[in-house]
Amino acid sequence: MKKIILPLLIIVFVGNLYAQQDSKPSKTQFMIRGYGSASFTLLNDEGEKESSFNTGNFAPIFLFKLSDKLMFETEMEFAYENGELETVLEYANVMYTLNDYMTIRAGKFLLPYGTFMERLHPSWINKLSSTPLGFGHDGIAPSSGVGVELRGAFNVSGSKFNYSLYSTNGPTLNDGSDEPEEAGILHFNNFEDNNNNKSFGGRIGFLPFTDSSTEVGFSFLNAKVGDTDSTYEDITASLIAYDFSFIKKINPLGGIIDIKAQYNKSIVDDASYIEVHDDGDEEEYTFANTSDSFYAQLSYRPTMSESKFFKNLEFVGRVSELNTPEGAEWESNINQKTFGLNYWLSWRSAIKVNYQITDGEGGHGGGLIDKKLFTIQWAFGL
Amino acid sequence: MKTITAIAIIGLIGLASVSCSPERAALVEGKPGVQLWGENCMRCHNTPSPADFNDTEWSTVEMHMRVRANLTAKESEKIFEFLRSAN
Repeated sequence: MKKIILPLLIIVFVGNLYAQQDSKPSKTQFMIRGYGSASFTLLNDEGEKESSFNTGNFAPIFLFKLSDKLMFETEMEFAYENGELETVLEYANVMYTLNDYMTIRAGKFLLPYGTFMERLHPSWINKLSSTPLGFGHDGIAPSSGVGVELRGAFNVSGSKFNYSLYSTNGPTLNDGSDEPEEAGILHFNNFEDNNNNKSFGGRIGFLPFTDSSTEVGFSFLNAKVGDTDSTYEDITASLIAYDFSFIKKINPLGGIIDIKAQYNKSIVDDASYIEVHDDGDEEEYTFANTSDSFYAQLSYRPTMSESKFFKNLEFVGRVSELNTPEGAEWESNINQKTFGLNYWLSWRSAIKVNYQITDGEGGHGGGLIDKKLFTIQWAFGL
Repeated sequence: MKTITAIAIIGLIGLASVSCSPERAALVEGKPGVQLWGENCMRCHNTPSPADFNDTEWSTVEMHMRVRANLTAKESEKIFEFLRSAN
């Protein structure tokens, strides 16, 4: 895979350079954007200390505008993890503007499930170097899906609405046959469907004020998640999320206040799973498969300061929580507090200094969780 | 869960009913691109400098951002017209 992707990237990049040198206008427009980061971390995990420089990640985005209505976009993410180069296809979709109020997309796209994964997760946009609990690997919120989506935005008497409706392959239920410790967990990276049922989801966003400073959103996703012809075939998952955003320059405070929050809830039908004991005996068990997570983030940037240095500083704080089902092998109740100080070198490049405290109990390792993480990250948009 | 959903729906209907008026609609309709650029880009990230991309590049970014940021067709048109005129 890597042997194909890297030469392809070089060909595309060189091709783009040659294309830009040609002064004749082209109907097809091509552009490489993206983002990346490099970081240093110092982790204190229950007294055990680890420190490391990290290669970070590089996520090129390729935009092909084929006409005023038709576009193809894709993003790949490269990161060096566990001794090898990890390659992830974040999204790859084609979109067509049907009219002023409707755009249709097909392929792999970031799901508008809340706003964090679709809009805020890139390292140069995310004001902290980590993602809130509940997102990412082993999270309860989906980040992308393969399918088709209809979306758009419109004004109504000075307020603004946006909407998205989509159908994708949907989440997959881990029945525990291969990974007993993950029985009942949902996996969202579903390039091929595990059953004939397609998920149905969407989000509606409402911006009540004329300055677009405030947005509230509601998202949902419903799907059958079990494998076809298995005892889990009729198991259904219902996911909902509420999101809130407020950003505004407040003159008395001398800068910009930015508040973001999202609440996620996942409800999966009850099912029986098999626990294999050390002596080989099998035991059937079940649990109420309901999880939720929440984050709220506040940041302040003194953009009206007369000092150029202070103008570029940003203060960030975030609280985050994840609760997974009681009785599951992956039961957890985790809390996280993150504090950050950012210095913006340009509108798309920041040096972030973060301190994060994570505590609670459960997760894959079981037992108490007590982690303190110090991170310096240099993030940049391209 | 039902309580949260009910409060959210009532809140949304309440906000919608107090925030809709013809004067407000005219105010939004008359906004110039530079104002929409300031208000909308920073909902997710810092406002970009118009000088960072040329006209062709802004036109590519326009379509990408219209979809990603849920901009209305008019907002998108005005914002990127401003960016192309100011770069």
